[in-house]
Amino acid sequence: MPVSIQFRQALGKLVLPALILVAFGVILLGKADRTLVEKLRMQTADLLAPAYRMVEWPQEKLRWLSGNLQDIRNLEAENIRLRAENTSLRHWYDVAAALADENATLKANLHWIPDNAPTFVSGRVVRDTSGLYARAVLLAINPDTSVHKGGIALDGAGLVGRVTEVGRRSARVLLITDSSSRLPVTLEASHAAAIMAGDNSPMPRIIFYPQDNLPVEGERVVTNGEIESLPAGLPVGHVHYLRPGMPVVVPAAALDHIDIVRIFDYEDSVAPPDAPGRVPLPPVGRTMVLPSQFQINQDKGLHG
Amino acid sequence: MKTFSPPPIRPGIHPRAGLGNRIDHGMRNSVPCLVVFFVTLVLSAPLNLPGQVELMPAIIMAMVFLWSVFAPALMPSVAVFVLGIWADILSFGPAGVMLLMMLIVHGVALSGRYTLARVNFFVLWLVFAMVMVGVTALQWVLCSALALHVVEFLPFVFETVLSVGSFPVLYAGFAWTYRFVINNADHS
Repeated sequence: MPVSIQFRQALGKLVLPALILVAFGVILLGKADRTLVEKLRMQTADLLAPAYRMVEWPQEKLRWLSGNLQDIRNLEAENIRLRAENTSLRHWYDVAAALADENATLKANLHWIPDNAPTFVSGRVVRDTSGLYARAVLLAINPDTSVHKGGIALDGAGLVGRVTEVGRRSARVLLITDSSSRLPVTLEASHAAAIMAGDNSPMPRIIFYPQDNLPVEGERVVTNGEIESLPAGLPVGHVHYLRPGMPVVVPAAALDHIDIVRIFDYEDSVAPPDAPGRVPLPPVGRTMVLPSQFQINQDKGLHG
Repeated sequence: MKTFSPPPIRPGIHPRAGLGNRIDHGMRNSVPCLVVFFVTLVLSAPLNLPGQVELMPAIIMAMVFLWSVFAPALMPSVAVFVLGIWADILSFGPAGVMLLMMLIVHGVALSGRYTLARVNFFVLWLVFAMVMVGVTALQWVLCSALALHVVEFLPFVFETVLSVGSFPVLYAGFAWTYRFVINNADHS
């Protein structure tokens, strides 16, 4: 449609005011319908998200690189710190050696009964038979090694579990994380006794701990000698609170990738002796004879 | 009747106005809008630059102002409107405020362009600073009104100072683009 030049110029002059009016309309629309604007913005952001990630990636790399460079710059200071720590540790090593010597002397003077050195065999874990419902591993053993049911399995750092089944060439070790594992433990700092109960999660729970002596976060957990075949003082792990009121044990042993374990045989280490004051049970087929002062007088009766 | 045609700026032999020539012209002429478009896009990305939020309006306003003064044909009102909508989508302020600011800057530049295109650079800088003060004050008023409480005005002061301070650099970039990208094509 042909329009006159004057009309076109007038129209051209009207464009900007009209657009400014529309801008005010946009402001009002944004105030009235906030969700529409938000949706539009979010959709645009979603579209641009891959590009934003591409922008982020080199930044991350740069930050990593600069962190690395900083580490390298701090190498000297770190070395000095480590050297100082090493000297201090050497000092403590000397102290420990001296104390061990002193301990040995004192024990010798006190006629200390030494603990039996437990016998152990080492075996390689051949299969992790853990499933959804059990946590156990299978050990390869020689037919002529003496691995018994109830043997204690430890790795380099701590308690792994107990031998539950022994075959000719393999033994099954039930891990402490299994849901049927219940072990009496001692919490080292608070001196409380508790039961460590596995629940198939990587961290067994602590149950039956005294309510007036709560486990302390980070304290060491060791076995206590409540049951036979499990001596006191074997390292198990340390206490961690998953949330308030739910203490668990973080096992010291690397239970998720066990390679080699040692099976200790503590079976006959501490056998309770016969108690001398105990009333012996009567032989089968005879009534029990009580001592004379407890014998009931047949004539008078009990109260007569 | 003989039609009037202006004498060529650079006399000589001109290439025929073929398809390639027209594409070249189109590309060169869309540079101002594309620059504003990409500046908005890039500054909305998570670059973690200090003052990135304030840098975006500063650069956009200076760009719109300069192109509206010196080459309004390459920065028409409708393009400013579209770019304003784009900037509003990518920034997370109240909707439409950025758009209104850009249109006002464009309008001021357009109305005063016959004097502004001839004045000294420092006078231009001063005019731009005054425009920015007015526009940022309007932005503050609008933001406060739309949020129904008085928002802090220090970021707005920072935005003004940043845009005024970055104007010379942007002017140098504009002059370079104008000389070597836009004006280098043969206007026959």
